[in-house]
Amino acid sequence: MLIKIKHALLKVIDVTALGFLEPYVRLAYREEPDVQVKKIVQFSLVPLLMVIAGLVVWALVISPNVKTKSGELPSPGVVAGAVSSLHAFAARENEKESAYLATGEKREAWLAKVEAELAAIGPDVTAANQGVLDARAAEASAKAKRIDPLQAEEDALKAQYKDERKAKELALKEEAKLLPVGDAEARQVYLEKVAALEVWRDTQKARIDAIGDQIKVIQNEKDPAVLAALNVQTAVAEREQYLKKVVEQLSDNNRAVKVAEGQAKVDEAKAAFASAQGTGAYLAAKKVISVEERLAKTTVSGYAKPATLYFQIKRSVLCVFAGFFLGSAIAIPIGILCGLSKTFMSALTPFIALFKPVSPIVWLPIALIVSSAFIPDPDKHWFTQWMWNLPWIGKYEINPAFMASAATVALCSLWATMVNTALGVASVDKDHLNVAKVLRLGFWSRLFKIVLPSSLPLVFAGLRISLGVGWMVLIAAELLSSSEGIGKFVWDQFNNGASDSFAKMMVVVFIVGAIGLLLDRIMVVFQRLVSFEGSIAAV
Amino acid sequence: MDMAKRLAKKAQQYIGIGCASGALAMCVLMPTAGYAFGPEQVPAIEGGETEYLDLEKDELKFGFIKLTDCAPIVIAKEKGFFADEGLAVEVIAQPNWKTLLDNVIAGELDGAHMLSGQPIAATIGFGTKAHIITAFTMDLNGNGITVSNSIWEQMQDVDPALDTSQPDHPIKADALKPVVQSYLAEGKKLQMGMVFPVSTHNYEIRYWLAASGIHPGMYTETDIGGRSDAEVELSVTPPPMMPATLEAGNIQGYCVGEPWNQQAVTKGIGVPVTTNYDIWQNNPEKVFGVTKAWADENPNTMLAVTKALIRAGRWLDETDSDGKLVNREEAARLLSRSDYVGADYDVIKNSMTGYFYFQKTDKRSMPDFNVFYKYYATYPWYSDGVWFLTQMRRWGQITEAKPEAWYHAMAKEVYKPEIYLQAARMLVDEGYIAESEIPWDSDGYKPATDAFIDGKTYDGKKPLAYLAGFEIGHQE
Repeated sequence: MLIKIKHALLKVIDVTALGFLEPYVRLAYREEPDVQVKKIVQFSLVPLLMVIAGLVVWALVISPNVKTKSGELPSPGVVAGAVSSLHAFAARENEKESAYLATGEKREAWLAKVEAELAAIGPDVTAANQGVLDARAAEASAKAKRIDPLQAEEDALKAQYKDERKAKELALKEEAKLLPVGDAEARQVYLEKVAALEVWRDTQKARIDAIGDQIKVIQNEKDPAVLAALNVQTAVAEREQYLKKVVEQLSDNNRAVKVAEGQAKVDEAKAAFASAQGTGAYLAAKKVISVEERLAKTTVSGYAKPATLYFQIKRSVLCVFAGFFLGSAIAIPIGILCGLSKTFMSALTPFIALFKPVSPIVWLPIALIVSSAFIPDPDKHWFTQWMWNLPWIGKYEINPAFMASAATVALCSLWATMVNTALGVASVDKDHLNVAKVLRLGFWSRLFKIVLPSSLPLVFAGLRISLGVGWMVLIAAELLSSSEGIGKFVWDQFNNGASDSFAKMMVVVFIVGAIGLLLDRIMVVFQRLVSFEGSIAAV
Repeated sequence: MDMAKRLAKKAQQYIGIGCASGALAMCVLMPTAGYAFGPEQVPAIEGGETEYLDLEKDELKFGFIKLTDCAPIVIAKEKGFFADEGLAVEVIAQPNWKTLLDNVIAGELDGAHMLSGQPIAATIGFGTKAHIITAFTMDLNGNGITVSNSIWEQMQDVDPALDTSQPDHPIKADALKPVVQSYLAEGKKLQMGMVFPVSTHNYEIRYWLAASGIHPGMYTETDIGGRSDAEVELSVTPPPMMPATLEAGNIQGYCVGEPWNQQAVTKGIGVPVTTNYDIWQNNPEKVFGVTKAWADENPNTMLAVTKALIRAGRWLDETDSDGKLVNREEAARLLSRSDYVGADYDVIKNSMTGYFYFQKTDKRSMPDFNVFYKYYATYPWYSDGVWFLTQMRRWGQITEAKPEAWYHAMAKEVYKPEIYLQAARMLVDEGYIAESEIPWDSDGYKPATDAFIDGKTYDGKKPLAYLAGFEIGHQE
């Protein structure tokens, strides 16, 4: 029994290509412990140590030293902070949404709670504001202490320079009056004196500028105490604003409250209609219809939630798979045909060779123009309407920008699959094909029984590369098309240029990497499942 | 006679400077009204109840660019003005002005925060052709021209008066001219950034340069980059990328909206030399644009949106009894959210609360740096449209001379005060705004004004006479 579990585990590890887990299983079964420990050190401990070393280098060496005027490379701690701030943003938006939809006693209890919190946060806000003022004042006086002597020195130097320059110029001018005409040597000497004055001027100016630069450096220094105070102030102010918004969403701007108001209006309008006479009755009837319509709309209305990072990640993954499947649907059939027929292959080679190296940046605008030409008005077009009403996928609002991004992914990623499929099909064992001939198999049975099964490992190797390429391309495509997703998130953060934007972009680096890794592992599993021992595609 | 005229001009300029440095009361004394007419104080008002409109569409998507002057849209959403009208509005950041316009035309967005020149250019067919209209001006002023530290030092070398911690304003491009010429002598051209070919910024930086005799280049049928005969070459850079591009040295200066000038000061990479308030006092900046087809299909929704935006503009400009803007800090906090403008609160707060840092040591009060409501700011003036058309003609974006009637006809195609007035009337009836805050009887043209950096007079009714007065650029 235990042995069976062991074999099952080893099989899973083998298929998922998580080979580093193997020694743990074997060690658990006391199979050559020395060898296993060595393997654990080699395949688990060393990478782990490298990760830790990487973090240490990042925290202690890279981030403190990489500073530009536009910002500094955030340390691991700051990036972790950005993760929690991104999460807080998403969580708050979810809360706002549920506050909008809250009803009955739950709403009232929640409202009371939030109002109490809001009241309690008041002193914190004052304290945080004061904290910023204090930190600023401290910074200003500390800087003034350092700048004042420099400033005095600069002013003194400037004054001295001015006086000296005037004196020297005057002296030279006086000398010029006495300069004899025709004495070339004396003139040459005089010329050198003037040139020397110019040099002296430049060096003096450089001295003054050097002090000025020192002052500027001090002025541009960021005081960590001020930054910390500002962060506290921002956190408190954002929380206050969020609480205020929730209160609003629970009271005046709550759906249930608005529905009740709407109902009251309907009743009022109906009563008015019941007693209205003459042409007034027509107007009153119209009023009844209009308030009823409004009520019906309010009843189903939702909170217009901004896109959160979680939503953007999901949408990006959806987009990469849409592009990947589209690309594969094109690449695999063409690849098979290329593999089967050399003529077909040579007919397509110019196109493959020409389009393969084209960058996503070029495909995207073209795809955008094409997709928006097909869907001139996304609000009314049957295709987008149909997509928006689908379960699961509907909430991701598939629009032309999404389609263009997916098409770009497809166009950039299909080549690996196409070439690998062609290779796989072309390199089917001749013996197998001869057997097929002997058995007089038709084209389709030969294709599905012989050619495809034996080329699958290479096809999947191609698909794996394609998905990897597609994921890389997608981020760039979203960035350009402003299709809601991780790419747009990065661009928005870059555009924000706030002090924490850099850290948020670093968060995305890890998210993109982690998702890319996950996608790759998924494809590896598929690839392993269709491979057999000794196959060239076995990784 | 001549002397007296010149003195009068000087005096006028002087009063103009008084305005710039913050004495609001002095603006009232200005002999040439036109840039400061309309209400100056906007006291808080107790609203009534919103009359429901029969909305054709109640879930809307509006686009914006990360600039503080998108505030009316953000405020209308966050303060619930859209919700009061029964609208659920999603506000989506756009990467650049071109994509924003394309998304509006393609119908992915219902409407957007637009450069004033964009609806006009789209309607007359410069760039992407589409009939875009506007019934709401989002703000006045709000831009600045920033030059790199090294150019600023060279300007200081030329004009030692600039070499103080608080130089006199307005700073003209006069001190820049020798710098430009020394660049030209070395076979180089100064590069400057602006945000879009038909942006206010493009016309403002051109105006500023040309007012000091620096040729910013002409657009021709074959040169759509606008660099023919240029002494300073202008190129397009998206606003949020301006500071980084300046720091990288690809450009030596730029004209952009906030917070990107303050950002340059905060990061110590450039010096704002002037604001567009000095170039043309209370000039129109952004509008809210939709396609004509959208407005025709959704007339009531259009009204509801306009109503909410007018209320948002008013909220932004609300003042207390001392004339202090009361809601701007809250607005700055909202705008600093990462899904809106996203820059640090500290940076946004500067200009939004009426201060502007020209250098780290030079903080000035500029109460009118961003005007969202007072001075009849939200009204869609035909005269604004005509001014943009004159500049498009001046720099060759409109390739042929046009008759005067054409200017007025085009402005009327784009600017729709009738929708604005209808929305405003409803708001007055509902008690959200005061009767006196809207220019009900206007013919759509602001009075003539000469509050420009070069002192030329602009009368919206006479575009051709205005064009004829320029030394650089087409004159007819």
